Amino acid sequence: MIDHSLCEAKTDNELVGMSLGEPDHFLCLSKRYESKLLRYIIRISKFSREDAEDVLQEVFIKTYFNLNGFDKELHFSSWIYRIAHNESVSAIRKKVVRPTIALEVEDIERFGDDFDMTKNLDNSFDRKYIDEALSKMDEKYREVLVLRYLDEKDYTEIADILKKPVSTVGNLILRGKKIFKDEYEKLSINK
Amino acid sequence: MDNKNISQIALERIKGEGIKPISRIVFSTKRVLFWVAVAVALVVSALAFSLILSALFNNDWDLYNKFGFSFILRTLPYFWFISLVVFIILGEFYYRKTLLGHRRNLLMIIWVYLIYTTIFGGIFYFTGIDNYIEQALLDNTPTYSNYVLGRHEVWLHPEEGLLSGDILLVGDNEIELIDSNNTIWIVDIEGAFTNGKVNMEIGEKVKILGDKAEDNIFKAEEIRPWVGVPLNSTKKAIINTP
Repeated sequence: MIDHSLCEAKTDNELVGMSLGEPDHFLCLSKRYESKLLRYIIRISKFSREDAEDVLQEVFIKTYFNLNGFDKELHFSSWIYRIAHNESVSAIRKKVVRPTIALEVEDIERFGDDFDMTKNLDNSFDRKYIDEALSKMDEKYREVLVLRYLDEKDYTEIADILKKPVSTVGNLILRGKKIFKDEYEKLSINK
Repeated sequence: MDNKNISQIALERIKGEGIKPISRIVFSTKRVLFWVAVAVALVVSALAFSLILSALFNNDWDLYNKFGFSFILRTLPYFWFISLVVFIILGEFYYRKTLLGHRRNLLMIIWVYLIYTTIFGGIFYFTGIDNYIEQALLDNTPTYSNYVLGRHEVWLHPEEGLLSGDILLVGDNEIELIDSNNTIWIVDIEGAFTNGKVNMEIGEKVKILGDKAEDNIFKAEEIRPWVGVPLNSTKKAIINTP
């Protein structure tokens, strides 16, 4: 049995090497990303928690299966997010999804801060509108905003996750922010 | 399902189903193959570019006034223009499949590809590598030979004053020529301007401007060299016949 307290000091790259030697070490890696990836899958797919957990299980299995394909020129984080992205997209295609995203309160607050809307977030209605505005957005804009402002990834990491040029990521974020603000304002005016 | 157990469940499945990571060699091979594809696309686009250069530099632009724009259009190397575009797109496609290729934007990759294509294409052209490759294509691929012959067919209109073919015999004031339809012509070259690059020797392919005098008799005004690859491989047997 592996002593998981020893894993905490290890880097992702070290854990990848250790997992290839002994599968039990993979548990350290998967635990490290479990809650982040689960939130990410829910945010981009609009899946229920249960469905997202099924997707996440597949993500971990695919990650382990392709572990030798991980190249240290990329961040492990970008690489596993990429797998999560692909699995989510393929799961979305197979399912009829729920119409709204269930964002957590702290997510919404962080999002509001980034968009300078903190002053509006003092009641649950505004939080609901952020949630709704995000849900209404086209998937490609929603995903970059989620990665940038909720998962706090930089442009290069987002480019690696979505396999898009860095400049395209920049444009998507810029345009996504504008679309989000418009949607949010529309919802606020009509409340 | 308790999300605290997802990692544990995944690990149990990995162990239970005996899932093993795919071998590193598979991924390394895939990466190398993408780079090989990028390199092949670059070489072919550079070759296309060198053959376009060859065709453009050696095209008979001065005949535009005499025969009109359609003459130029009929002699352009469309096959290589299309190849250039196709292989630049393929190169861009495979480059994006490399590990960090997705980070660069489309225009930047195409610009870099164009720069490399120009450099290598220029080297191919000035070293004559393009001619060797084209000759190999002509000798081994009938479809390509037909295409090239088709492009040069513009020089097989004696009634319009355009004739081309391989020299069979060289006399004092006339030569005997076989065109690509295997028709033998007697060409009166007296007083004709002969380009300095024409050696006037048996087996040489030439282009002739002039007038058709009678059936199989042509009065030359100007004799030009056949630029690029000599298309005489199919004529050798005829030329060598006593």
